[in-house]
Amino acid sequence: MKKLLQNIYLSLIIFLLYAPIVTLVVLSFNNSKTRAKWGGFTGKWYVSLFQNEQIMNALYTTLIIALLSAFIATIIGTAAALGIQSMKRKPRTLVMGITNIPMLNADIVTGISLMLLFIAIGTALKFVGIQFSLGFITILIAHITFNIPYVILSVMPKLKQTKRSTYEAALDLGASPIYAFFKVVFPDILPGVFSGFLLAFTMSLDDFVITHFTKGPGVDTLSTKIYSEVRKGIKPEMYALSTILFVSVLILLILINLSPANKNGETKPKEVNKITRISHFIFRRIVPIGMALVVVAGGFFYNSKKNLKGNNQVIVYNWGEYIDPKVITLFEKETGINVVYEEFETNEIMYPKIQSGAIAYDVVCPSDYMIQRMIENDLLAELNFDNIPNIKNIGSQYMKQSKQFDAENKYSVPYCWGTIGILYNKKMVDKPIDSWSVLWDKKYKDNILMQDSVRDAFATALKYLGYSLNATDLDELEKAKELLIKQKPLVQAYVIDQVRDKMIGNEAAIGVIYSGEAIYTQLENPDLEYVIPKEGSNVWIDSWVIPKNAKHKENGEKFINFLCRPDIAKMNFDYITYSTPNTEGRKLIEDPAIRNSKIAFPSATELERCETFKFLGNKNDSIYNELWREIKSH
Amino acid sequence: MAKKLIDMINISKSYGDNLVLDDLNLYINENKFLTLLGPSGCGKTTLLRILGGFETANEGKIIFEGNDITNLAPNKRQLNTVFQKYALFSHMSIAENIAFGLKIKGKSKAYINDKIKYALKLVNLDGYENRIPDSLSGGQQQRIAIARAIVNEPKVLLLDEPLGALDLKLRQDMQYELIRLKNELGITFVYVTHDQEEALTMSDTIVVMNQGYIQQIGTPEDIYNEPENAFVADFIGDSNILPATMVEDKLVKILGVNFPCVDTGFGRNKPVDAVIRPEDIDLVNVEDGIMQGVVTHLIFKGVHYEMEVTANNYKWLVHSTDLFPVGTEVGIKVDPFDIQIMKKPESEDEEAVIIEE
Amino acid sequence: MKNKKKLLAGPYLFWSASFIIIPLFMILYYGLTNNKNQFTLSNIAKITTPENMKALGLALLLSLVSTLICLILAYPLAMILASKSMNQTSFVVLVFILPMWMNFLLRTLAWQTLLEKNGVINNILSFFHLPTQSMINTPSAIILGMVYNFLPFMVLPIYNVIVKIDKDVISAAKDLGANNMQTFTKIIFPLTISGIISGIIMVFVPSLTTFVISDLLGGSKILLIGNVIEQEFKQSSNWNVGSGLSLVLMIFIIVSMALIAKYDKDGEGTAF
Repeated sequence: MKKLLQNIYLSLIIFLLYAPIVTLVVLSFNNSKTRAKWGGFTGKWYVSLFQNEQIMNALYTTLIIALLSAFIATIIGTAAALGIQSMKRKPRTLVMGITNIPMLNADIVTGISLMLLFIAIGTALKFVGIQFSLGFITILIAHITFNIPYVILSVMPKLKQTKRSTYEAALDLGASPIYAFFKVVFPDILPGVFSGFLLAFTMSLDDFVITHFTKGPGVDTLSTKIYSEVRKGIKPEMYALSTILFVSVLILLILINLSPANKNGETKPKEVNKITRISHFIFRRIVPIGMALVVVAGGFFYNSKKNLKGNNQVIVYNWGEYIDPKVITLFEKETGINVVYEEFETNEIMYPKIQSGAIAYDVVCPSDYMIQRMIENDLLAELNFDNIPNIKNIGSQYMKQSKQFDAENKYSVPYCWGTIGILYNKKMVDKPIDSWSVLWDKKYKDNILMQDSVRDAFATALKYLGYSLNATDLDELEKAKELLIKQKPLVQAYVIDQVRDKMIGNEAAIGVIYSGEAIYTQLENPDLEYVIPKEGSNVWIDSWVIPKNAKHKENGEKFINFLCRPDIAKMNFDYITYSTPNTEGRKLIEDPAIRNSKIAFPSATELERCETFKFLGNKNDSIYNELWREIKSH
Repeated sequence: MAKKLIDMINISKSYGDNLVLDDLNLYINENKFLTLLGPSGCGKTTLLRILGGFETANEGKIIFEGNDITNLAPNKRQLNTVFQKYALFSHMSIAENIAFGLKIKGKSKAYINDKIKYALKLVNLDGYENRIPDSLSGGQQQRIAIARAIVNEPKVLLLDEPLGALDLKLRQDMQYELIRLKNELGITFVYVTHDQEEALTMSDTIVVMNQGYIQQIGTPEDIYNEPENAFVADFIGDSNILPATMVEDKLVKILGVNFPCVDTGFGRNKPVDAVIRPEDIDLVNVEDGIMQGVVTHLIFKGVHYEMEVTANNYKWLVHSTDLFPVGTEVGIKVDPFDIQIMKKPESEDEEAVIIEE
Repeated sequence: MKNKKKLLAGPYLFWSASFIIIPLFMILYYGLTNNKNQFTLSNIAKITTPENMKALGLALLLSLVSTLICLILAYPLAMILASKSMNQTSFVVLVFILPMWMNFLLRTLAWQTLLEKNGVINNILSFFHLPTQSMINTPSAIILGMVYNFLPFMVLPIYNVIVKIDKDVISAAKDLGANNMQTFTKIIFPLTISGIISGIIMVFVPSLTTFVISDLLGGSKILLIGNVIEQEFKQSSNWNVGSGLSLVLMIFIIVSMALIAKYDKDGEGTAF
């Protein structure tokens, strides 16, 4: 009876632990691209996984960092454990105290502290002319730092068990200290060293927070890659990859634990023992070492492939999911320029990175008001349009519109444009929606998805109140703030690109969304309808610019020029479904319904109701931010 | 007349396929020092744990003072245990350790304090009340473990190799201490050990066990002088165990030579084992011996000399106070009552079964 | 000879000084200065604004609740695991370390799929004609995420001290008359305090400071102190304020370390 209860309890906990994992495995076979919908069984993600260079790169970065950091940490940590063991009590307590810091300290504090250090080192080294910035090396150092304590704490107990006398006996028998250590002490502590290594490897693999703070552009581990994908929906290939990783480790662990030698102790006859010993050896040594070799070899292969591409590169900083990956491959193939690609989620996240200059991006794709801010703060370089002849494909009305933030069309080239509106589910609302007021309708409590970015969120409130979405009047802003606080209990979640998946999955009735996303969602879920509310809204343009500190300006211009090619613009439109300002490209769209879609290309009268965001000055900007923080933490 | 205190009837215990105790019967009298003696794995500790209530027998009954306690929980039994590795509560002081059982029984503070004082005195550790177990030596910890058990005034104290972890000198001291304790307390001790010397020194009764069977029960003298089988003979003290043939009653042929003995009833020309203790062999002049041999080894042991005498291709172990240098030709003589004849078993298991009957 | 051996710790001492100690002083420096490098306490004082107090208070509340839940779940679990003799250690490793090979973010994200309005759990509920629950984007969802992610860090230290308890010690307690309950309260529990303390700290600290779990399961509606700090660094680029707030968090961590030092002298209660 007691046994039964125990087993039930154990099963429940294991169920809790593994339910999400099973979910992920199931998702990896989901034919639908979104998490929210089951589209039938498929194995295609397992195929496309290996063609997805970004994920494969992240995988190898992750594995190499895990392997290297675990390896280095094991060496430093084992040596340290030996040293600590022979220390006197006081220094030993002190050192063990320090060892506990990374284990007990919050990841976020460890991450931040290392980031501050690395940036300080970078600044210091600049004076002596050495380039040092956040990247692979800094992640590696950070991982080694938090891995060492795991090794020390695994080795120390084994070391305590090892008798000093055996070591001394070896010395007595004429062994040198080093020989004695490797022949006598080391075999005793080997299990501790081994489990320390495995633990360090696992911890490194599972880390996100510390990597998040210490990584630089172009370097992504699986964790950071996933985090940046969270907001726009995880690529199904990620599920497939995780499933492969999980299953292979599972098999490996089962092999190790069920290797026959463990089963029946040592009581077997000698011949059998020989066999078990061999299989024991295979399972415990050869299989893990083999796997490690595959990883290392794969890593070198990838690295060498990367190095072949050389230093002729362009560092691109773009919105998440805002380009067809094939376009990048095509560009690399045609020009031989290596694209280092990095993504951001909001203008507000992007800006400080450019401003701090810690990373020199070559081309960036901010929105209108942000471009104005960057121009005003002298962060942008003038473009050399001799290198961008394809600018002729951009419709003149868009170039004219750009003048609102780039008065002489000197700094920016339009890439995408659109409006902000309401996406609603026809089956979940009683009548067609045409006003922002629904966002404050109690009927839709917990059924509303709001945009998680300052200006977009304020725009809805300001427009509903009948003010300009560039309001700077404190009274107007205060009223908008009150309104948004009032709205908070009705909101299901503040999201950015996730609106898309959630609306497709019928998670909410109403969502504030960019028009470009609306086209895609309608294709997936025909119940959805997009509307620009009658009070008016925002019309925006995202354009390519080149920061002043760009190191590869010409490559950047080549990249922009490439994107302005009609066929490339069309490729991108098909992939991201955001309205293109490329008039020539639009003509290539096959489906007339989409070519003339009112969502993608709204009528002039509808656009008249819309305003463009303007940069309101640093002071007003921080007022907006402060108010937004108050709303969020209310 | 000794009173029966514990009766263990038909006890069997197995772990999976591994039979540890097979249909074992044993009774323990009041106020005795009984020792379970045997090599490791013989089942002696299991038997003790069944008695203490930490293991349940698969079959059989335990009667304690006429009551069936087979299924009684350990905390309800009137016996206490001293564990091999002391099992002191490391998070409590010595006083708290000793007071543990009494507190649970809800004794008064004054009573408990008196008992602690008394028990510490008894084990010669007065004034150790406020120390913590880890600050004590092994011997001291062992005494505390004993003190902790006896304050509960058990009828029986179970001791599981309590001296196993102590060094030789300490072990000998503790042996006398245990005998003194037992006499002062006037209770039954059931003692488990694999050390035959310990068993011979302290016990009133020794139970020799092997492979889950009782091999022999008896006083130390019985066990030593009259081993009932080769196992007991071999396990207790040194001995010469020789394959022999019972020619007829009172005559045994050892290594081709006839020895007169006192045993009868084995039949004619039956293979048997003969046991001769090394100190029972007399070395005499060559012509006076029943068998002739040469001294091939000599060690001075303090009380006596230990010699190896090679005779008829067998190396005899001989203890003697007389010195015969290596190379001396000697005669071997054994008194008839010093030859112990045992029926030859076909296997160790059978050996036990036969003895049981 | 002995001195030489001490030198082996040299590389580690150098490493920990460079990448553990100095970085902490960097935080201290940034936390106590403004962007003109002048000394100020205003960054630390930022914690007293109503928004930040609320974020800290909420973080404390949620992390305390999830630590308590972890403890209640983990203790019996650790005892059950300790009582299983078969291949014990490898079994524990198998069960609790294995999920870590599925990425932490993905595992947490999978809970979204499970908890959502049209998620797996609600689908099952409605299949049995039971009322659906709204679970996602609530404090409870965040607590679930914390418990789920940090439970192993509670189980392992407790398990490690329980298996180290000599079986004879428990037998001795029973032998001296203690029943099961008394054996637990007087012997087992006091002997596992060091593991419990480590477990509490290893769950409490990461829950208190998380920003990922509240992000993923709270729908960005619920701001914890971790989110505030993350935003100060990654969005507002206000490193001084972020460092100041981190210093406040460090107070909790220092208290934790003091507790560890008090109760776990031999370091035996560590998770691994």
